[in-house]
Amino acid sequence: MKIVWLARHVRGQAHAHRWLVLAAFAAFALVAMVVGGARLGARTMARWGAFVGQNVHVIVYLDDGVDQARARDFAELLRRVPTVAQVSIVEPDAALARLSTSAAALGVDGKTLDGLESAYFPRSLELSLTPAADLSERASDLAKRLRPVPGVVQVDAMGSGLARLAVWVKLGRRLGVGVLAALALVTVGLLIAVFLRSRGAGARRAAVLVQLGETDAGIRLPASLWMATAAAAGAAVGGLTLALSWQPLIGRLERTLGITANAPFPSLDRAEVSAGMAMVLLVGLAMGYFATPLPRIHDGA
Amino acid sequence: MIWLEGVSCQRNGALVLDMVTLGVARSELIVVEGTAGSGKSTLLALAAAARMPDRGAVWFAGRNTTTLQRASLPFVRRNIGFCTADPLLLPDDTVLANVILALAVRGESPARAEQLAREALDLVRASELENRVVSSLSVGQRRLVALARAVAGPPPLVVADEPAAGVGDEARAIVTYALTAARDAGSAVLAATADSALADQLVSHGGRRIHLDQGRIAGAPAIGLVPALTPDPLPLGTFQPRVITLEVDDAAVGDLPPATRGPS
Repeated sequence: MKIVWLARHVRGQAHAHRWLVLAAFAAFALVAMVVGGARLGARTMARWGAFVGQNVHVIVYLDDGVDQARARDFAELLRRVPTVAQVSIVEPDAALARLSTSAAALGVDGKTLDGLESAYFPRSLELSLTPAADLSERASDLAKRLRPVPGVVQVDAMGSGLARLAVWVKLGRRLGVGVLAALALVTVGLLIAVFLRSRGAGARRAAVLVQLGETDAGIRLPASLWMATAAAAGAAVGGLTLALSWQPLIGRLERTLGITANAPFPSLDRAEVSAGMAMVLLVGLAMGYFATPLPRIHDGA
Repeated sequence: MIWLEGVSCQRNGALVLDMVTLGVARSELIVVEGTAGSGKSTLLALAAAARMPDRGAVWFAGRNTTTLQRASLPFVRRNIGFCTADPLLLPDDTVLANVILALAVRGESPARAEQLAREALDLVRASELENRVVSSLSVGQRRLVALARAVAGPPPLVVADEPAAGVGDEARAIVTYALTAARDAGSAVLAATADSALADQLVSHGGRRIHLDQGRIAGAPAIGLVPALTPDPLPLGTFQPRVITLEVDDAAVGDLPPATRGPS
């Protein structure tokens, strides 16, 4: 088939089946959003998990008189407590930096913190406990035992708050998986509908072209091309919509939940986008190809 | 141009064609007459490479189409203008687009295809229908459009099955005119009809008539008509099998792939 006729046939068929083209476009836009959304969702969960998984269950604020050496000794003693998994020392400078980061993430005006100096922040110890079902009770118990220790100003048992956040994250993950599964079902249904409708529409054209002497490839190529074009365009628009909307959406959600994750915002890299587009093109070509059933010629007994 | 050699076909266990031999040369028109069920449509489907025989061979322009690979058959079919009894058209496309499609498959340029399609529509007096969508046409109009598509070009071989079924006297005259015009332009024309009025008209315009009865050519026990294969047409029944060479016009046949040559 000459290129000029191929181009005409692709255009003609796309015009004749414009509703199918639109349906294929929408289906592949959904595919891109579901697949891309699933990957981004998994990465967002990991980001939130990292935040929750900082595993700081108890914070011990030390007196100003406790210097770095004493703080290290104190940390070493605490590491020997059986329920304590990890102890880290947070210096006043680091504490101020964290506050600035958190404030910025929550949208607090930077000028509010201008007057603060690191000297205002006490040196502190962050304790992570070993995983257990009664984590919050154990954190409270440890906090109670640490409060009378000399050099300790304040002890914060954070177990209950973190446990609550973890529950919310888990619930969010389940909801996300549910929504994605529902969207995936709708997408698969739409793709099957597009395939079957295309098959119905292509059968008569194929019969006519077989009679006129068109080759199998010449019969199937136009449908493959318009389907692949619709698929690629749909996937590109779906992917772009996802890319533009995901970060603001998750950012707003994090601000609402008070999550100040330090990990970078999740995004799809070029290799993933390229592989996805290649896959969509292949699926589009295959759908168009198999949606054009060729009539069988009776070739004798 | 086309040579069916001892072809037999069965359908649901019943013999539809029984050892039919028939040849149509360039610039020749043969009209196959017979009642319903006599095997006309099957014979024409074999000639148009739309079906393969259970036995026998079909030679088109020196190639045995029954031994060609399946992938090569489209290159045979695109040289044949086939008008089936139930016209196979694209209902959502315009009349002009339907006729152009056949020429596009043959590889004509868009401008040339449009010109040839208009000429073919003019030949069947359907020029005013060219922008109509096929689904809006009557059955008779669709037959004329299918005939225009079959003779557009014209191709080396035109095969028309019941081209005037269900049309009036005027349309019958148009069908006769279109088929004889294709013949005069050099095509081999094979038409089948149960309409004796159409057969009479085609014969009166130089066509040859053969009768098909229960899958056999009447009056020809094993061998049918092969009038143009010898310098002087032989009368029916006197044909003696001998070594013959089919006339092959490769330029007219187009891009047929290399294949086994016919008897030589």
